[in-house]
Amino acid sequence: MQTNNQFSTERFVALCRQSLIINKKVIWITLGGSSVLLFFLLYFLQASQQFSDWTNVDYSGVFAYLFFPLGILFAGLAFPAFRTKEKSMAYLMLPASRTEKFLFELVTRILLFILIIPPMFWAIANLEGIIVNSFAPELVHYRFSFVEVWQKLTSHGHFGGWTFFAVVQGWLFSLFLFFAGASHFSKMPFRKTWFSMGVLLFGYTMFSIFLGKALDLHGISNIRFFFFKTDNAAIAALSMLITAINLCLLAIAWYRLKEKEA
Amino acid sequence: MIQINDLEFTYSRKRGLFKGLSLHLEPGSITGLLGKNGAGKTTLLKLMTGLLHSNSGAISVLGHDPKNREVSMLNDVFLVPEEFYFPSITIQEYVKAYAPFYPRFDHPLFAKILEEFELMAENNLQKHSHGQKKKFLIAFALSTRCRLLVLDEPTNGLDIPSKSLFRKILAGSLDEDQLVIISTHQVKDVENLIDKILILDNGKMIFQRNIAEISEKVCFVSGTSADTDGAIYSEAIPGGYRMMMPNGHAETEVDIELLFNAITNGKQIG
Repeated sequence: MQTNNQFSTERFVALCRQSLIINKKVIWITLGGSSVLLFFLLYFLQASQQFSDWTNVDYSGVFAYLFFPLGILFAGLAFPAFRTKEKSMAYLMLPASRTEKFLFELVTRILLFILIIPPMFWAIANLEGIIVNSFAPELVHYRFSFVEVWQKLTSHGHFGGWTFFAVVQGWLFSLFLFFAGASHFSKMPFRKTWFSMGVLLFGYTMFSIFLGKALDLHGISNIRFFFFKTDNAAIAALSMLITAINLCLLAIAWYRLKEKEA
Repeated sequence: MIQINDLEFTYSRKRGLFKGLSLHLEPGSITGLLGKNGAGKTTLLKLMTGLLHSNSGAISVLGHDPKNREVSMLNDVFLVPEEFYFPSITIQEYVKAYAPFYPRFDHPLFAKILEEFELMAENNLQKHSHGQKKKFLIAFALSTRCRLLVLDEPTNGLDIPSKSLFRKILAGSLDEDQLVIISTHQVKDVENLIDKILILDNGKMIFQRNIAEISEKVCFVSGTSADTDGAIYSEAIPGGYRMMMPNGHAETEVDIELLFNAITNGKQIG
């Protein structure tokens, strides 16, 4: 029988099923634990304001503070099999293709996080709001709505088009960076990715400062005048650049998986 | 089934391991890969299974280049490493999770081996001893019916009854199209089991012979110091000497340990 060496839905499903069988306890404990923690976090934050002036903006602030760092943390924990030699061997010898293994990590570490966390936050925030509101009906704005947040963000017309695209790509950049770091570094990938990023940023900043001094650019405050005619064109170019970097990061993760040895 | 030509491999620039290593193995045998500690047995097995990539030379396993780790190769190759990891799940769950990746997985055979090894399918793998985990992994490996089974020090951690049970189960569970490679330095554990011997020393394959061929050339006998004159190689044992002699007429069982010591001490068997 001919074996498809690139991608087989049956094998991909087997990979998902395998992960569920192995991690079911951890998944339930994490989901349950984080729901309870989020419930009490919202409660204490509202209590710290004496249950007054708590609006949709406060909910969305908590969401942003949790969603973005947790996304980075979760993406940075991708490829867990690479953390020890024994796990790496078992993982690399598992009869699934690179495409299947790569897609599985990408889907479970990034796509599922993006799909699961917002509705989960919405459900817990509203449940917590309803419960607290039943004890203090006049004090808490208990309905949380993503639609309202979106309407508020876009109401001034500054958050559409390229700006929105650039923000999304910027956030995806941080996820893909830590995803690629997890495939590249075997030990302590999260810390090593932070460190590498810090070194790169520091190097870039120093380079820019020295270049600025060398070219005597002190008088020029807005660098876009060099290349772009409008702010929108600059943002469009920036978002395209980030998109290209994101694709490179995914390619690095793929290449590291292909070349991994145990 | 396995063809290796002029293999070169180094861990670092200073530490070369294999240089010009060649090897040919056909299905239908249990091959013992012997060598001193650090000879490169595990490294060679990792190169064969695609866990390491060679610097140069060609490796073909079941018609595949192992470094590509294609599914059509991986679902026909099973490696039992010396050190392994198991998730915290029961044997039953492990089989549910991993068996679907092996198209020829034989569930009745797995149940039979499990029973022979006295392992319970409902028990959590993390609660088993190292020896029990190893027995489970051997049972799983044999049940995959992979055409290439690579066992790295399979008897390490097994108690004495389990070692003989391992030999019995292995000999009784194989098909003609399968090749088993057993890497070990505990040669007594694989006596009467292997039918081909490979000896690896200083990065070179210094010996590749079938047991039948060896028996034809040499015999293994015990005697006194007076008998050692015609011996190719001899070693003192309590009460006398153990010798490897050129074969006259006697057909004796191959003493793998003595043979190994003779070959690694530079002796030839003709």
